[in-house]
Amino acid sequence: MDRECVSLLPRVCEVLAASGSSLPDDTSLEKLLDWFTGLTKAGTSLLESCPCLLEFISTVVHNTALDPSILSFTLRLTGFVAVTEVAFKVLQESSVLDLVFNLQHWQEAGLWEDPCIRIGWIQGLRTMMQHPKALSFFVQADFLQPLLQLQTDKSLFVASAANQMLAHVLLSCQSVSSVGSNDVDEEGEDVGRSGGSIADLEYSAVTVETNQDYAAVVTAISECLKKSLVPRENTQLHQSLQILKLLALLLAQTRPPLWEKLLQMVADSVDELLVAGYSQLILPLMDVILAAYSSCDVNRRAPDQRVSRLLSFMLNIRKPADLIQAAAAFLRRGLHDLVHTAQSARVLLLPLDIITGLNLLTTTADEQRFLMMEQLKNKTSCISLICVCLTNTPQMTLMAADCLPCPPVLIVTAVLSLLKLCSGDSSSPSSSSSGCREVSRNVIGSSKVQKCALDALTALSGSPGVEVKLAEVFTLLVQCLDNPDSDPTVLQKSFQALVQWMSVCSDLSSITDQHRQDLLQVVRKRSCDIRWEVRDSTVEFLGRLAGVRVIQTTAEEASDASVAVLGGCCFTTPLLRAALQDTESYVRASAISALAQTLAASWQQGAALTQEQTEIVNQLLEVLSWDTEGFARRAVVRYFIAWLSSMSSHSCVQSPASSSLLMPSVRSVLSRGSADLDWEVKVHTLELAELLLDEAFSGQRGYTKGNPTQTHPYAVIPNTLHTRTHNEEDVVGVLNSLVQWGVVSALLSGLVDCDRPVALRACRLLITLREVVCPLSLGALDATAAMATVARVTCELPGCGWAREIRKMLVMKAKDANAEGGVSGGEVVNCDDCGEAGQEAASVGGQTPCVSVCEVLRSLDLDERLDVLTRSSDHVHNSPLSLLQDILTASSARSQPDTQQEVIADCY
Amino acid sequence: MKLYCLSGHPTLPCNVLKFKSTTIMLDCGLDTTSVLNFLPLPLVHSPRLSKLPGWISKDGTINLEKELKDCAGRVFVDSQPEFCLPERELLDLSTIDVILISNYHCMMALPYITEHTGFTGTVYATEPTLQIGRLLMEEVVNFMERVPKAQSATCWKNKEIQRMLPGPLKDAVDVWTWKRCYSMQEVNSALSKVQLVGYSQKVELFGAVQVSPLSSGYSLGSSNWIIQSHHEKVSYVSGSSLLTTHPQPMDQSSLKNSDVLILTGLTQMPTANPDGMLGEFCSNLAMTIRAGGNVLVPCYSSGVIYDLLECLYQFIESASLGTTPFYFISPVANSSLEFSQIFAEWLCHNKQTKVYLPEPPFPHAELIQTNKLKHYPSIHGDFSSEFRQPCVVFTGHPSLRFGDVVHFMELWGKSSLNTIIFTEPDFSYLDALAPYQPLAMKCVYCPIDTRLNFHQVSKLLKEVQPLHVVCPEQYTQPPLTQSHRSDLMLELQPPPMPYRRCSVLNLPFRRRYERVYILPELANSLVPSEIKPGVSVATVSAVVHSKDNKHTLQHGITEVKVEETADGHILHLQAEDTLIQLEEDGTHIVCDNNEPLRTTLRDLVLRFLQKL
Repeated sequence: MDRECVSLLPRVCEVLAASGSSLPDDTSLEKLLDWFTGLTKAGTSLLESCPCLLEFISTVVHNTALDPSILSFTLRLTGFVAVTEVAFKVLQESSVLDLVFNLQHWQEAGLWEDPCIRIGWIQGLRTMMQHPKALSFFVQADFLQPLLQLQTDKSLFVASAANQMLAHVLLSCQSVSSVGSNDVDEEGEDVGRSGGSIADLEYSAVTVETNQDYAAVVTAISECLKKSLVPRENTQLHQSLQILKLLALLLAQTRPPLWEKLLQMVADSVDELLVAGYSQLILPLMDVILAAYSSCDVNRRAPDQRVSRLLSFMLNIRKPADLIQAAAAFLRRGLHDLVHTAQSARVLLLPLDIITGLNLLTTTADEQRFLMMEQLKNKTSCISLICVCLTNTPQMTLMAADCLPCPPVLIVTAVLSLLKLCSGDSSSPSSSSSGCREVSRNVIGSSKVQKCALDALTALSGSPGVEVKLAEVFTLLVQCLDNPDSDPTVLQKSFQALVQWMSVCSDLSSITDQHRQDLLQVVRKRSCDIRWEVRDSTVEFLGRLAGVRVIQTTAEEASDASVAVLGGCCFTTPLLRAALQDTESYVRASAISALAQTLAASWQQGAALTQEQTEIVNQLLEVLSWDTEGFARRAVVRYFIAWLSSMSSHSCVQSPASSSLLMPSVRSVLSRGSADLDWEVKVHTLELAELLLDEAFSGQRGYTKGNPTQTHPYAVIPNTLHTRTHNEEDVVGVLNSLVQWGVVSALLSGLVDCDRPVALRACRLLITLREVVCPLSLGALDATAAMATVARVTCELPGCGWAREIRKMLVMKAKDANAEGGVSGGEVVNCDDCGEAGQEAASVGGQTPCVSVCEVLRSLDLDERLDVLTRSSDHVHNSPLSLLQDILTASSARSQPDTQQEVIADCY
Repeated sequence: MKLYCLSGHPTLPCNVLKFKSTTIMLDCGLDTTSVLNFLPLPLVHSPRLSKLPGWISKDGTINLEKELKDCAGRVFVDSQPEFCLPERELLDLSTIDVILISNYHCMMALPYITEHTGFTGTVYATEPTLQIGRLLMEEVVNFMERVPKAQSATCWKNKEIQRMLPGPLKDAVDVWTWKRCYSMQEVNSALSKVQLVGYSQKVELFGAVQVSPLSSGYSLGSSNWIIQSHHEKVSYVSGSSLLTTHPQPMDQSSLKNSDVLILTGLTQMPTANPDGMLGEFCSNLAMTIRAGGNVLVPCYSSGVIYDLLECLYQFIESASLGTTPFYFISPVANSSLEFSQIFAEWLCHNKQTKVYLPEPPFPHAELIQTNKLKHYPSIHGDFSSEFRQPCVVFTGHPSLRFGDVVHFMELWGKSSLNTIIFTEPDFSYLDALAPYQPLAMKCVYCPIDTRLNFHQVSKLLKEVQPLHVVCPEQYTQPPLTQSHRSDLMLELQPPPMPYRRCSVLNLPFRRRYERVYILPELANSLVPSEIKPGVSVATVSAVVHSKDNKHTLQHGITEVKVEETADGHILHLQAEDTLIQLEEDGTHIVCDNNEPLRTTLRDLVLRFLQKL
């Protein structure tokens, strides 16, 4: 723990004990507790490190006139202090513990009514209860009854905390009992551990009496569960809900025999609750049953018969909405139970079967079908039920074939049929019955169902054997895209589904020319849509399609989907170039990204440069210079990153022509991007610079790609790494090109940027560069000698902006060096002797001063800078020391009202 | 109460309501779909149309070469286009007291009804309805008159011959009632009978009923009508819209508590959502222009065009169409664009507030100012010298049978770069294009109909809860082409009463009460006696005085003494000091200085004697 903090803490405690109302803000106490939590987790004993806390607790607990938030804080703090047995003992011996958790004490003071005291009491106990002594304390003090009462507290937070606490108590008792009775279930260890750290502690001190006490606690809690589970009237549903939540927690974490015991106690009540059929309790009930069921599943026990029976009951419940919820909840768990999985699948497919009229289910109980149909006739519930079913279809198709009542292909057909119904295009095949007609008209025009169905369709692309549906899916999605009433999200999802299906079913031989024509037409139309969101999705689609590899016919070679279905660049590039003029910046940005994706193939193949590409580059450079929105400018830099990286990763096919366009462009991008106002543009620009560094020094010894600080400071670095075995002339050449491309200027300007991410990245890259060209490890003299040639490489430092900052830094460094009798400080900047005015004059006179790159890299104290930049910008503000100081300052401000006045005035 | 249905077209209604002692015509729609059977009227000589072969029946027995022409596999009448008028035989049109107009599209048959039928009543309409209606009539007259056709084809209408003709001519109904377009003189005469009304203004008709227009939200000045007496209320809902477009929003609450609601003018495109269509319109337009083609938009000169221009105003920049010229060609283009800017009080709230800034309510003013939108009365004159391509042309008539649009069809039809975008829902686009086939230009159908759809109308009816709904029979069943769409029909309890052309419906409610006033002096003389707490009754003997459908109870003759004489009786009206001597051979009324009383008594006695 920080010494300074320790020294401040007693004064802070005094302040808090005296009056809590002078806190700087509401969150101070929470922040203090967070700090204590961190300390406790790190293994620090609070009482040892901060003995003042004991006095604080005993003072506060007697002063019931204090602000309840301070009292609540104290309750919780006591829990942290008493988390170790030693400290617990100290607190108990000093009688503080009894008083802190004495209910009567708080009730008599009239404070128990305040929910923050109640929650403080629960959380304090909960934190403390990590060792058997604390558990005995809990049992002996008979805290169980009040805790059970708190479970139905009017404050939801209190009730929930009480629930958690009860579960914790029961699990603690279980662990203690099992240790005491030497009845540790090997398989259950993991479960016990997940319940709390208590299982890791030693319980050698457990006696037969305490064991009996614990058994009594377990019985009391179980009795309470049993008694309160079934509501006597509708108004008590809240209580049942709480009990069910607790039960779900317990059944998931307990092991036999406690698990058995709990189940036995509550089984009848759960039965009763099921028969009563409260719809609000269906999901919590299902959670309980599934928790019990999963517990068997996880522990590889055979499912308990009672649980299986309850589950079967749930999956045969009469109310259709409840039934669907239960089936969906079961499927979500992904349990290995073929019978119930198959049953859930049948339940979830029933609404689709009814509405589409496709025979997804060979047999269904007539009554169930009738009830479901009646439910589906109501528009609201129809839409929500269908959406639940659709959401689960992809998971269903991945199930074992014997669980599914129909092949996945039929489910895809059903989803397609539903989408047709939504657009009002077709009647359901079973529309002969008026019931079905009534149901199917509920989904006409429902964009919610459409969106769900499209999501399902996208996910269904991965189901086995559905590739045969590609042409049908294609047709329907194009219809969706063409439909004037489709909302922007539906269109976006349709585009996504189309890309997904094409990427999964890479064989596009079933796609006819008519399909292609229809898609071309619709893409052309949507790229001119009145809604920018649609134009954006269209442009994105074009880009994503270019990245999908497909095979058109078995005989043909693979190509990208854009070429296969849209005819490639000749169709997409003009559309994307038109989108560069869009009024909406998001569309422009997407168009730029899509252009990069579309041209990626030609870059990789090293295709000759076209006039169009040259025009695109000019357009993009214009966007970078003139576009008012950051999104588009960021996309431009990313475009060049993509281009450059594709060129470097396919260096074998680099075309000189494209390089002749790329490198001058990159130079412009670096100079424009590093002068941008948007920090993300600047970060991307640095990424581009990094790529150039990578390319320039790839294979050079001493060059580590990426983050140079990742190596541990004490790691042993092989000598060879620092031995300059490569040709110095090469390095000079490379460094010269880096200077010429503007990489060095971009990095230096980034270093002094006011945005931390920019400066951090630039700093890391400069360190990387330094380590290659002039590592600090060589020492100044060695370096001068060894790098006589490299040191001759210079870069310009113009007299404005970032360069002025760099110069200042260099001058400062030189002065420091001179003061210390340093070696070469005065030579770093050959114009620094003339001072500030001289620099100005040099610039004005047209002679931009030049500096040696090596010397700059070695003089900028990059490592110190990196250290500062790595810390988060609010690290000072958020430190515990700052918190403690704030509390003290606020208190002194309060004691001197005049000062406070000033502070307030300052704020304004 | 009866309803006579004179039109079978649900959105161009013409019904007559007999209510109390009044005869009220509700709208006067003209079904212009009949013009689709005629050949287009080209503005400049068209070699293609002039060389069309005449029609002779296959067996050669019927030769109508002069009247019918074979064009692109279909037979068209080569004559001045004719319109299908509302039914004129169902009742005597001269008995109509008033005509209530709901919007400018539903008054196009007015000259056929008010002229040459003996009509002497009044037409009620709002000011924008009158002014824009006049423009639309003027435009049609102009379209017809500037390309006169001497020939008038009538032989084909002969029943025996018509039976032998190919479809769709064979199936055309009531062809004998079809009439050529009216003249401007008839238009002016008809419109002179219009009396202007404002929303919620109450107009008394002969003291019997009160009529009042309500905003219907469909077009400038469009209205629904409330027709009510003291105890009965009939609502007439025609062409209403709940969408936020340029007109004042629809007044729904005033339609509540109606005994009968007559519902007409629902959307003709229930499956085409106007917003989607507008989007479709814009993207197709941009797509064509980008590809270097021209866009032709056949439309009416008022109505949706204002919304189209407003939408394009916003879209032009984002679609980089800033340099593309937009032309609006109509003999009334200028008036239409200017009228729209001056009817501020009839516009939606947003547009009304603009007027106070002051700014023109519609942005097409700016489009005109910046030369992006140019308007011309016809293709002749300035237009021909300033015309630049690629461009967008808005022009009429949407039927493609007359107006400047015919010229553009001939001009642009052969290039697949060009696109025709149909936005008006009144005509089947396939039928409209039939005489221009084969056509290379692209065709896009995005009908924009902002009128109520079935979903909206169901909600509206749930809200206003009329006792009975009367509607065209088309609304009581799903559209023929989409028989599975049971959501595209009215499902009400009790079921709506359907009507078709020539139906006469007895509206299902009986008048039970009539309001009668008591003069204060008579009321003073009444002696009420309480029969139960809060309810008192009194007997009244008085005279009912009825004038202008207002009934008043007033003091009458109360004391009569009857004397028997040898030859008869003498009645002595004491208060009036009058004697009525009734004898076998003569009757005398002796009444000094009260000639009116004497005459009244004489008439009464005569009537009695006649009855005896």
